[in-house]
Amino acid sequence: MGTHSENIAQLGWDPEDPHGITHHDDHPHGHPVVAWQIQLGVLLALLFFTFLTVLFYNAESWVENAFDVHLPWWVNVIGAMSIATVKAVLVCMFFMQLRYDKAINTFAMLFCLVCVGLFLGFSMIDLENRDRVVEWKKAEATLGGTGKSLDAPAIDPEFDARISPRINTQGMSIVDFRREEALAAMEAEGKTEADFWAKHYHHHAEHRHPADTNNYYEQLGYDHHVELSTANRTVHRSGLTPGLFSAVDPRELHDDHAADGHGDDAHDDGH
Amino acid sequence: MQTTLDADTTPAPPHIAKHPLHWRNRDYGHHWRNRDEEFDASKFGMWLFLTTEVLLFAGIFCGYAVFRMLYPEAWSNGSHYLDWKFGAANTVVLLISSFTCAMAVRCAQLNQQKWLKINLVITLVCAALFVFIKLKFEYMVKLGDGKAPGTFFSYEYAQNAHEQLWWSLYYVGTGIHALHVVIGASLLGYVLFRSWKYQAYGPTEYTMVENSALYWHLVDLVWIFLFPLLYLIH
Repeated sequence: MGTHSENIAQLGWDPEDPHGITHHDDHPHGHPVVAWQIQLGVLLALLFFTFLTVLFYNAESWVENAFDVHLPWWVNVIGAMSIATVKAVLVCMFFMQLRYDKAINTFAMLFCLVCVGLFLGFSMIDLENRDRVVEWKKAEATLGGTGKSLDAPAIDPEFDARISPRINTQGMSIVDFRREEALAAMEAEGKTEADFWAKHYHHHAEHRHPADTNNYYEQLGYDHHVELSTANRTVHRSGLTPGLFSAVDPRELHDDHAADGHGDDAHDDGH
Repeated sequence: MQTTLDADTTPAPPHIAKHPLHWRNRDYGHHWRNRDEEFDASKFGMWLFLTTEVLLFAGIFCGYAVFRMLYPEAWSNGSHYLDWKFGAANTVVLLISSFTCAMAVRCAQLNQQKWLKINLVITLVCAALFVFIKLKFEYMVKLGDGKAPGTFFSYEYAQNAHEQLWWSLYYVGTGIHALHVVIGASLLGYVLFRSWKYQAYGPTEYTMVENSALYWHLVDLVWIFLFPLLYLIH
């Protein structure tokens, strides 16, 4: 049995004063100072990974165009996001000094990232599974939101009565509305539709514009057709509630002669 | 490993040695047992704040993911409207500024007053360069073409009905990020002013430098994800 102070030294704290009220530790132990060589190395690694992700993006686009292959969408996404994650970990560990810091700071950040994962994950699960309504729930399930997309024809008089106070697109999508507006303005100046498309193809001659229905692309002599990357086009769209994001009137889905022709799938044709 | 206790013991210049804001004259709060506890608590508070910032940007990333899933053509077109060279240039600018910011913390820890100021100035120049590239080569050119968010959209050659949604997300995401750049630069400017005027930061008093730097690194961190999402994923 040693003396009181020996016991304290052994325990590392004073059981009679567990919160250190009387024992003032006035001598701070100092904080770690990270060597500048380490920080510089981290900067060079970050610049290298930036170069790598840009290289990956360009290589992927080049491979798709040169060999006319269709890489799945996840090649692009996983490649870019995994490199970004490595860079983020480097910044957190060294620049933000989590590696040398109290573990609770890392814990707070990781807990937050778990929440972000839940947030993103449940949003994706929701989108993926909206059409999977079990039989006994079908009767009470209703379409979410307004049940129509921006480019949909009018299906809900109550909703369509509330047009934007800034602009009335007359039932068109704002993209189509602005094109019609610009065409009308050009025609008012005495120019033709060919002039309208010539202005566009002068800078963007790589492929035909989907709205160029009269094929001014070929008429104006731009026939060197180059496909843009289609990496994104393989995202499957089967999981969505019918009518929620397509231009189909949901009431028609229940009829035998269901509407077709102007659904969202129409976008996939054409280019 | 080197610690703040190994700091240089150069005395303060006589005209500010007695100033209450000089780092040697700063005391810690009486309710803390020592400086380390006060510093750690302050830093933990900053980390908690940073988690809320991460959640703010997670909302934008989630919106990106949902809309990309719903309108892949619009997102593919939108990404092709952006030039990766400007995004990459801004990434390099922010990474360098993050490095100089980390070095500024190190200089405060070691009482290297001159290099503390130099590093902060480089960081601020990078911040200004970032905002300049963003405004001059991206926002102004895009807005001039009519590639604006929501009902302000007036680009007549858009190819997909949902492209204005892409631009809404682009301006919200990069706009809130640019706002963070401005706030972070203001914090670091305040640190620079106080260290230039009073030598307010040193080995025993650098909480403000450390927390401002953490905020600046978060700005960098968000851009590390915004860059591939907007410019590289197509």
